[in-house]
Amino acid sequence: MKRYKITVNGQTYDVTVEEIAGTGPLARTVAPAAQEAKAAPAVVPAPAAVAAATNLPVSLSVKSPMPGVVMSFKVAAGQDVKKGDVLLILEAMKMENEIVAPQAGKILSLRVPAGASVNTGDSLVDLG
Amino acid sequence: MDEKLKALENQRAKVLAGGGQKRIAAQHEKGKKTARERIESLLDPGTFIELDAFVEHRCTDLGMAGVEAPGEGVVIGYGNVNGRLVYVFAQDFTVIGGSLGEMHAAKICKAMDMAMKVGCPCIGINDSGGARIQEGVDALSGYGNIFYRNTLASGVVPQISVIMGPCAGGAVYSPALTDFVFMTKGSSNMFITGPQVIKAVTGEDVSAEELGGASVHAEISGVAHFKYDDEDSTIQGIRRLLSFLPQNNIEDPPIVDAGDDPARTDPGLAAIMPEASNKPYDVRSVISRVVDAGDFLEVQPDYARNMVIGFARLVGRTVGVIANQPAVMAGVLDINASDKASRFIRFCDAFNIPLVTFTDTAGYLPGVEQEHGGVIRHGAKLLYAYSEATVPKMTVILRKAYGGAYIAMCSKHLGADQVFAWPSAEIAVMGPEGAANIIFKKEIEKAEDPAAMRSQKIEEYKDNFANPYKAAIRGYVDDVIDPALTRGRLCSALFMLLGKRQTRPARKHGNFPV
Repeated sequence: MKRYKITVNGQTYDVTVEEIAGTGPLARTVAPAAQEAKAAPAVVPAPAAVAAATNLPVSLSVKSPMPGVVMSFKVAAGQDVKKGDVLLILEAMKMENEIVAPQAGKILSLRVPAGASVNTGDSLVDLG
Repeated sequence: MDEKLKALENQRAKVLAGGGQKRIAAQHEKGKKTARERIESLLDPGTFIELDAFVEHRCTDLGMAGVEAPGEGVVIGYGNVNGRLVYVFAQDFTVIGGSLGEMHAAKICKAMDMAMKVGCPCIGINDSGGARIQEGVDALSGYGNIFYRNTLASGVVPQISVIMGPCAGGAVYSPALTDFVFMTKGSSNMFITGPQVIKAVTGEDVSAEELGGASVHAEISGVAHFKYDDEDSTIQGIRRLLSFLPQNNIEDPPIVDAGDDPARTDPGLAAIMPEASNKPYDVRSVISRVVDAGDFLEVQPDYARNMVIGFARLVGRTVGVIANQPAVMAGVLDINASDKASRFIRFCDAFNIPLVTFTDTAGYLPGVEQEHGGVIRHGAKLLYAYSEATVPKMTVILRKAYGGAYIAMCSKHLGADQVFAWPSAEIAVMGPEGAANIIFKKEIEKAEDPAAMRSQKIEEYKDNFANPYKAAIRGYVDDVIDPALTRGRLCSALFMLLGKRQTRPARKHGNFPV
């Protein structure tokens, strides 16, 4: 166990890091956990949270291809979708653009509410 | 003589055995064919004639003296595809990992030189560990000689690269200089610096497949034009592409009669266009209903999908199709779409393939990323490529053609020979919303109900300007046509334009914006 003091946006956190044997898949699961920590800095990911994250199916974030407004979602969380199914309608460039599933999977979460303005690269739907 | 014949037989058998049974079995285990098997399946049966089978390396450094490399790790020769001559070279991974040394490169150069001399396509199958390090600068010289010939052959004979194994470092630039890159999923990858170097330098962990596999290059980088699941389908894809292409820049593509009536009308075409002009549709359904027998070979189908490009035929003659795709990102023009289309246009122009453009785009994609990425200079490629092209150029404006995007999509102003517009076409300096806001700014501000006034003015503008007739009045559109007649009018225009001759001012070459 190692202890670090980390400062994010002026706030200081005490972080404990434990090294777990077996490095291959672990390196990959740390990254999303670190992002979560950024979104909610008050919560420092406990080792348990990291372990839970490894059990989740590989997820893929469908991102907005251009700036626009989410008009409506055509799917709900928990729903299974096929590749090519319409996930949502993005109004952009004065067109109602269908954003489709790049692969089959289950909808894990809708990342923005309907009516939200989004920019290129913003996550719209998490697919598992 | 009998003895000498026997010796020849032995020598040849040694070359044909490549790297030996063990390595061949290892190659097969990976789902990969050997160089010879690949050539055999690409060419018409029994047509392959091998050249330079007895070439050997002359390297003695670093333990290379006495090292046997049957065929020098590459098989070259000529044969037929669909009864037409091609030159081909295929790297043999079973012989010192297909590594490229001086004489290996010399064989490849011979195939390219001969293809140029006789005017036939050159197909290179890449499966190599890279430079043969023991040969030092001679290996580098070999790569350079290949790049030089790729460049000289560009626009003279069609060049096709097939990646069926590793292709890393300098080796990637030969494919990049050729016209079309084919990749096979799972077994091929391309990168300048491999996963190990990246790990050492930037610390990023990435697998070879994630870094430069077929999907990466077909979807993200745009390096690959065609991606197939296995080697057999890759080979079939090459044969299909060749069926659309001429042998060289002086010949016309072969005429293939599909028995489809040139005057065939299609009342169903109009129904593809949604009633509301802000709704998407798949432009490929328009393309496939217009061209001969619905036969459309899409190029780079997974890259910059807002722009559709590919080969088809009208009255048996190959045409290059360029179309905005309203179903993806509103068919916007962006950096990647401009890149994709302009390279394709230049290929078609170099090889006497007339251009058919279908226009329906929401315009240029706004955004800091695009501007900072250089959409100005990338977008300029499209203008340059269309303007430069002297092959017959036909344009069908399906719906939205506003502002700069209207000009860019092979408008009359860039030298289109025939421009047709569907009645749904909206050709104007800018979209109704934007135009109304500017032109009627004062009226809208002064109105008791600005919102109502605004929508009234937008409707007015739509009725008066967002149509094909303002452009037709000036002759920028040659005719406004019933969608059902699209095929007939394009076929007729193509025949009318067959005698087109256009020359450009004498110059060394233009300065294409790259």
